[in-house]
Amino acid sequence: MAKQSLSFALEPRASANLDDYVMECAWSPDGKSLAVGGGEGKVALARLNGAALTLSTVGEHLLGTLAVAWQPHGHLFASAGQDNSLALWDGGDGRERLRLKPAPTPTQALAWSPDGASLASAAGKGVTLWSSLGEKLHTFAPAASAAVALSFDKPGTDLGVALNGEICVHRVEKSRYETRRYKWPAACLTVNFSGNGRFLATGMADGSLHFWNRSTGKDSQMRGYDGRLELTGFSDNSRYLASSAGHEVVLWDFGGKGPEGTKPIVLNGHTERVDSFAWQPGGEHLVSAGRDWRITLWRPGKTTQPIDVQMGDAEYSVLRWSPDGKFVVAGEKKGRLTIFELVAR
Amino acid sequence: MSVTPSRVPVTVLTGFLGSGKTTLLNRILSEKHGKRIAVIENEFGEVGVDHQLVIGAEEELFETNNGCICCTVRGDLIRILGQLMKRRDKFDYIIIETTGMADPGPVAQTFFLDDELKNQFSLDAIVTMVDAKHFEQHVDELNEPAEQVAFADLVLLNKTDLVDAAALERIESRIRGINGTAKILRTQNADAPVDQVLNVGAFDLQRALAVDGAFLEPEYPFEWGGVYQLAPGNYLLETAGEHDHSEHDHGHAHHGHDHGHHDHDHGDHDHAAHTHADLDVVLLPVAAATADALAAAIEPAVRAFADPAAVVPCHGTLELAPSHSAIDLSHPGADFTVTIAQAGAYALFCEHHPLEFGLQLAGLRPAAERRFASHHHADDISSIGISDPRPLDPAKLNQWLDYLLKTRGQDIFRMKGVLNVKGEERRQVFHGVHMMFDAQAERPWGNTPRMNSLVFIGRGLDRAEFEAGFESAVAK
Repeated sequence: MAKQSLSFALEPRASANLDDYVMECAWSPDGKSLAVGGGEGKVALARLNGAALTLSTVGEHLLGTLAVAWQPHGHLFASAGQDNSLALWDGGDGRERLRLKPAPTPTQALAWSPDGASLASAAGKGVTLWSSLGEKLHTFAPAASAAVALSFDKPGTDLGVALNGEICVHRVEKSRYETRRYKWPAACLTVNFSGNGRFLATGMADGSLHFWNRSTGKDSQMRGYDGRLELTGFSDNSRYLASSAGHEVVLWDFGGKGPEGTKPIVLNGHTERVDSFAWQPGGEHLVSAGRDWRITLWRPGKTTQPIDVQMGDAEYSVLRWSPDGKFVVAGEKKGRLTIFELVAR
Repeated sequence: MSVTPSRVPVTVLTGFLGSGKTTLLNRILSEKHGKRIAVIENEFGEVGVDHQLVIGAEEELFETNNGCICCTVRGDLIRILGQLMKRRDKFDYIIIETTGMADPGPVAQTFFLDDELKNQFSLDAIVTMVDAKHFEQHVDELNEPAEQVAFADLVLLNKTDLVDAAALERIESRIRGINGTAKILRTQNADAPVDQVLNVGAFDLQRALAVDGAFLEPEYPFEWGGVYQLAPGNYLLETAGEHDHSEHDHGHAHHGHDHGHHDHDHGDHDHAAHTHADLDVVLLPVAAATADALAAAIEPAVRAFADPAAVVPCHGTLELAPSHSAIDLSHPGADFTVTIAQAGAYALFCEHHPLEFGLQLAGLRPAAERRFASHHHADDISSIGISDPRPLDPAKLNQWLDYLLKTRGQDIFRMKGVLNVKGEERRQVFHGVHMMFDAQAERPWGNTPRMNSLVFIGRGLDRAEFEAGFESAVAK
């Protein structure tokens, strides 16, 4: 019997042009639509229909979109921008449902709870929890610094907030808003929970990666990054934590006794800075892309070599897997969106 | 492959409350200069010009966690700059306005944080607006105004229409005492030409270091020197406006003058009893009425100043050097006689700039004149310049700078340098804010004489310490 094929590749299927710097893309749960935010402020809805990707602009955030997030299990998507507003859109017809001004400062980050019932937004030092109808459910006490990233854990009971000098974890289960603080004296730029809930990780402005074991509270620091660490993410199976602050993607193996005292796996396939990477939902693939105009497909559990490379003709700004893990959308700084399909060869 | 785009120049605009920052910004934004400018202003947005990119920023300081408390950067700025770069219709300039009380350090340091920022932005200049009307009061009462001046590459001395010429001289002199390298532009209603405020390339070090080099020299006991070609005869050294100079104005001038008086020993004089004010002067013959001859006279003038002064009362006669005179300016319109026996060139050195008192020698304009840095100022912030042609040993240089920044980083607000490093064909340039700095090789020396030029601006700096440090870095 033949060995199982290791050979996967990305094949371009469809593309469209946003005519704006692609800041963020968010897939609808059914994988048929994409909400897209542009650096100059466009908010667009893209539909994938076989080999056709049609894109229509539905609105804007004056001076730039900062965040876009699609409601899990739902048909709404949220966007926020430099105009200090937060908008909720109907992903079916593209209509703007409502627009809020959570604060007199831009909303930097958005995160839907995994059940799609609530939306967290971070503007300045304030974090607010909204219902999908735009009702304010809770306003957390202002932090000492600006909240720059948000993330729910997998069950949706905890909301992590990246701040200067700490990660705040707010318990949001059954409206009990308790807060636990994970402190480290540097600015946190990202926040990730491992899927199994055991670890909390953050990329930091001092060029280090910090993570905490949530049951013991023990923390560890991985140093040596070349500048601010703005990209971090756990693989879907919680085995690896990927990170990048340059042209390499660095993986820490959380299998066995964990990554402490181990050397990381270094994925070396880019010649320029990596600006985005994404782990495959329900799978083990990782895609990365950035300034060297190439999209690289990895399967770190099997090999540290790229298993596929797609050469483009522009710098990529964002990569996102479809919820079923079969497609990847790649957004370019020049505005093009391309849908790739993961295929076995 | 990706092409490195040209860096977007950034001007940091600082200045005390009411100094005219907003007026300047509004004017820059509304003037037709063909630049697309993004303004990042402090959280209390005051600037409002339609169709311009104006973003409010809430100051948020991040420590860089390298163990040094002076290494703080602006986290909010990093985010905003990152977002600005995600616009394809690139603007070609960024102006960052700081709040009146803000320390410009963290803003400027942000641009040295990492390669990502260094590759995208170039700090063009720190521009400090000074309110001529209130500067003297503010600088005596608070730390911020002097610090903002210390950070500056360009000082806009604004509201000059609200003070008299003597006050302007005093203020300029004070600014010079703090910051020997900044260019000073006098403005009214913030009316500086845009091309002199933006893209000035203050970090073009060759240019920056060429500005008023005199103020980076060792400190002298005099602030001004001038040479005159004089025929035999009696000349009157007189203060301006004997008749129309009111007591009030005179008193005002004295107020400012007294700011500067520190080392001056008035001994048992009773200051409260009368408005006593001496000005130390030295008059000496020189070879010619030229700048070179004036420079050659500096040393004998310093020696003359070291001797005890002979007090010359109003209407008295000034002796030639080696005598050192303290002329009594306590009376409005005071005058003194200078008797010239032999025709020739004469240099006059004054403790303070004569314009502060409207002092003139027989209404003559000097054939050449020069200003000098003086130690007669209250501010503990000053500039130290070092010029030396000897090549430096790169390893020892690093050792020295490392040590310097570790021990004095907090006190050193700015440092700039063009270095002659042994074995290097190109000029090595560096500039920094506190402990964070950027160094790179620039164009080759070619036929120009090799020369190290370094400037440090900071609080409580000791020249001897810097000279010894430099000496330790000289290649043997």
